[in-house]
Amino acid sequence: MTVVDEGTTDQLSTQPERPTMPNRGGLLVGLRALWRYFTSMRTALLLLALLAVAAIPGTVLPQRGLDPVKVNDYIASHPQLGPFFDKLYLFDVFAAPWFVLIFALLFVSIVGCVVPRIRLHAKALRRRPPNAPRNLSKLRAATEWTTTESPAAVAERVRRHLRDARWRADIRAESDGAVTVAAEKGYLRETGNLVFHIALLLLLLGIAVGTAFGYKGTVLKQQRETFANGREAYDVFQPSRWFYSDSELSPFSFRLDRFSASYDASNGEPTDFHAVVAYQASPTAPSKPYDIRVNHPLNTGDAKVFLVGHGYSMDLRITNKYGVVVSDGDVPFLPDTAQFLSHGVLKVPHLNVDGKDRPHPGQLGLTGFFFPTAAVTPSGQLTSSFPGLNNPVLQLAAFKGDLGFSTGIPQSVYSLDVSKLKEIDQTTLKPGQSWKLSDGSTVKFVGIHQWATFQVAHQPGKTTVLVAAILIIAGLLGSLRVRRRRFWIRAVPVTGSGGTQSTVIQAAGLARTDVGGFVDELDELTKQLGRPTERD
Amino acid sequence: MTPNLHLAHISDVLLTWAVFVYAFAMFGYAAEFAATRRLQAKPPVDGEVGVGESKRAKRVGVAAVALSVIGWGFHLSSVITRAAAVHRVPWGNMYEFSVMVTLVAVTIYLVLLVGRESVRFLGAFLMAPVVLYLGLAGTVLYAAPGPLVPALNSYWIKIHVVAAITATGAFMVSGVVTVLYLLKERWERGQPPLRGLLLRRLRSQPQVSLGPGTAAVAELSAKRSGLMNSLPSSERLDRLAYRVITFAFPVWTFAIIAGAIWAEQAWSRYWGWDPKETWSFITWLGYAAYLHARATAGWRGRRAAMLSLIAFGALMVDYYVVNTVITGLHSYAGVS
Ligand code: HEM
Repeated sequence: MTVVDEGTTDQLSTQPERPTMPNRGGLLVGLRALWRYFTSMRTALLLLALLAVAAIPGTVLPQRGLDPVKVNDYIASHPQLGPFFDKLYLFDVFAAPWFVLIFALLFVSIVGCVVPRIRLHAKALRRRPPNAPRNLSKLRAATEWTTTESPAAVAERVRRHLRDARWRADIRAESDGAVTVAAEKGYLRETGNLVFHIALLLLLLGIAVGTAFGYKGTVLKQQRETFANGREAYDVFQPSRWFYSDSELSPFSFRLDRFSASYDASNGEPTDFHAVVAYQASPTAPSKPYDIRVNHPLNTGDAKVFLVGHGYSMDLRITNKYGVVVSDGDVPFLPDTAQFLSHGVLKVPHLNVDGKDRPHPGQLGLTGFFFPTAAVTPSGQLTSSFPGLNNPVLQLAAFKGDLGFSTGIPQSVYSLDVSKLKEIDQTTLKPGQSWKLSDGSTVKFVGIHQWATFQVAHQPGKTTVLVAAILIIAGLLGSLRVRRRRFWIRAVPVTGSGGTQSTVIQAAGLARTDVGGFVDELDELTKQLGRPTERD
Repeated sequence: MTPNLHLAHISDVLLTWAVFVYAFAMFGYAAEFAATRRLQAKPPVDGEVGVGESKRAKRVGVAAVALSVIGWGFHLSSVITRAAAVHRVPWGNMYEFSVMVTLVAVTIYLVLLVGRESVRFLGAFLMAPVVLYLGLAGTVLYAAPGPLVPALNSYWIKIHVVAAITATGAFMVSGVVTVLYLLKERWERGQPPLRGLLLRRLRSQPQVSLGPGTAAVAELSAKRSGLMNSLPSSERLDRLAYRVITFAFPVWTFAIIAGAIWAEQAWSRYWGWDPKETWSFITWLGYAAYLHARATAGWRGRRAAMLSLIAFGALMVDYYVVNTVITGLHSYAGVS
């Protein structure tokens, strides 16, 4: 067996050779050369590497798309570098013009290289396998043996055998009486490769549709509260660029009936969350129960509803000095630690309404910390040692004065501006306990409920993305696991010394990849075609 | 369900045994390798001696293979008992990933051994990172048996994570082969495999001057030829690495896609440029670049091999750095 030089093997690249353009000179040729350079493998390679490098800062620096608060912190703590990085879009890497440019160039380059290859491959699929090289013995795995069959019979037998083994095989007669069979197999390699590259384009299309249309939003709901899909109903609503009208929001609604969380008793790691809801796909549809869990979103209308967070709310009832209940209900507390040490605020702008509905001046603000499992740190501070309700304690501080509503500036419901307030009292409460303030009003800690936050997302183009993804894998398997190879035999008639007729069969093959395996395959193939083995 | 601590302990002990047996196997492979090298470096004066030595070397090599299989048995049993102890799939944190990845790597090696190409030489070089990985897993990354965090509690963990582990184990094998390829290719070009090695040799052989260079170097590499000689040709190593990568790359692609589908169910979006996602993508781009380089004149060979090692580096960043240093949604590593 001899080994062919690289030059010969190269001809079996799955990449078809391009026809050379006539050289006319001038601008057109320059442009053409540029385009050729741009759509070469070398450029694709460069762009792939460039994209990989460009993505790295997006994982090292905080990103606005993931955590805007962290970005602000970073800029605040790096007054020199921060704003400079910001100018370079280093906090929005994946939306940065330079990142998008590399991406776009890569895809233009794919188009540029795939389109001519489709044409050439279609031609190759229709073409006869190329004829045997003049000197088969120079090729890899070349071998020969002698038989008494006529060349034509040998060729016909070989062709049939190869066709059965799913080779494309073709007989040619040569002028000196020899007959050749040329066979080729593994067209699926180039087909798979084209499918793969085209599917990459399809994937991009699906992603583009998803980011251009669609919306997402988050909302916090207390138990027994109902959410009806609509822009105003969200705490945060993020439409995408070309989301144009609210009528696109499918008209579903759901009510949070119950939320429960369970934790590993040994370390407080969460083990399970459930949000049991009753939902209606439209206002007229029947109400159905559903159990929203992590990894188990609710699918309704064109949207999905995900459970993304949870916490405790304090059921507080405030009775003023006139005996009138001025505030009653669940106040959501936001968790600050994994053990659910939470904080919350309650604002009562009209505290002193008397029994005859007459308002008297006076505003009340409460700030509090909630400890689901209260414990005392070595330094004597109160903390929470477990996220479940093993020893719930609410620590409250009461403020009187001006809550600041008169300024008209919108306020967060989770923080209290104490600049015009005066702290009057402080206490800790357990569920069921009441607290009498020095001004005569009472705060009753009625009980503890839970709230949950939901994310609603509508992302069109998902099906396209999924189909593209499947084609990517299928194409890749064809492209990488199928071997393109050629096989030839030449049956040469010889007349022996006594006038006896016999036929010398020369056989050889050529493969682009995994040459080692191919040698074995040829060995097996020629054995099946009647080559005597050493032992015979 | 609370974990069965007794079984978990058995699993830990089995893993320790696996590490020890692998280490012995490694020495066995190394001994065979060294013996082959001596044999080739000094052609026997009379055939008998040479044949005897080679037979002994071969026996050591076969024993190393047997040890590998035994170690693999312990390794596999460790994984199974761990699964039984925690009542779930045994790949829920970094410790368990490491154990699985090395199990895949050794499995691929054993499968290749059964196949037509002789890859026993790989043993000495593969067992080293395997033992290192497992050592790191059993100490720094060790996670006490426990349940899965809810975010991981989905059947996708069986699909996405298995694919990721399989691809990683295979990339580990191709990475080792690629390093050997680079060494051998260098040697075939008449250059010393490692500069440090050369310098040490030069110092112990004062008659060779550094100045005129090439001739001396060629002479030297001829003298040291044994070690490199007993490796297969660079062409074969290149082909082997390629073959393993053409298996791993589609699996890795599938892992990313399955991850995206899972992310869509768990976090409401299929792709969000989370650090883990981004580094997986960077890894993917790296291996895609390798595949392109291998098909591009001027890039095939050494440069393509370098790209594949860089891609493997990105995979290691994805695996170690992202899980422990960079915070993201994938913070389930069980390392605090
Ligand atoms: C996102 C960008 C791209 C990715 C991920 C990608 C991926 C791949 C993969 C995995 C292969 C299989 C390699 C093999 O057969 O050995 C391949 C082959 C190929 N790609 Fe790409 N590709 C990309 C862009 C491009 C572009 C822009 C071009 C055009 C210049 C291109 C041209 C080719 C060609 C010609 C082959 C066949 C190689 C061969 O014959 O072995 N690719 N590509």
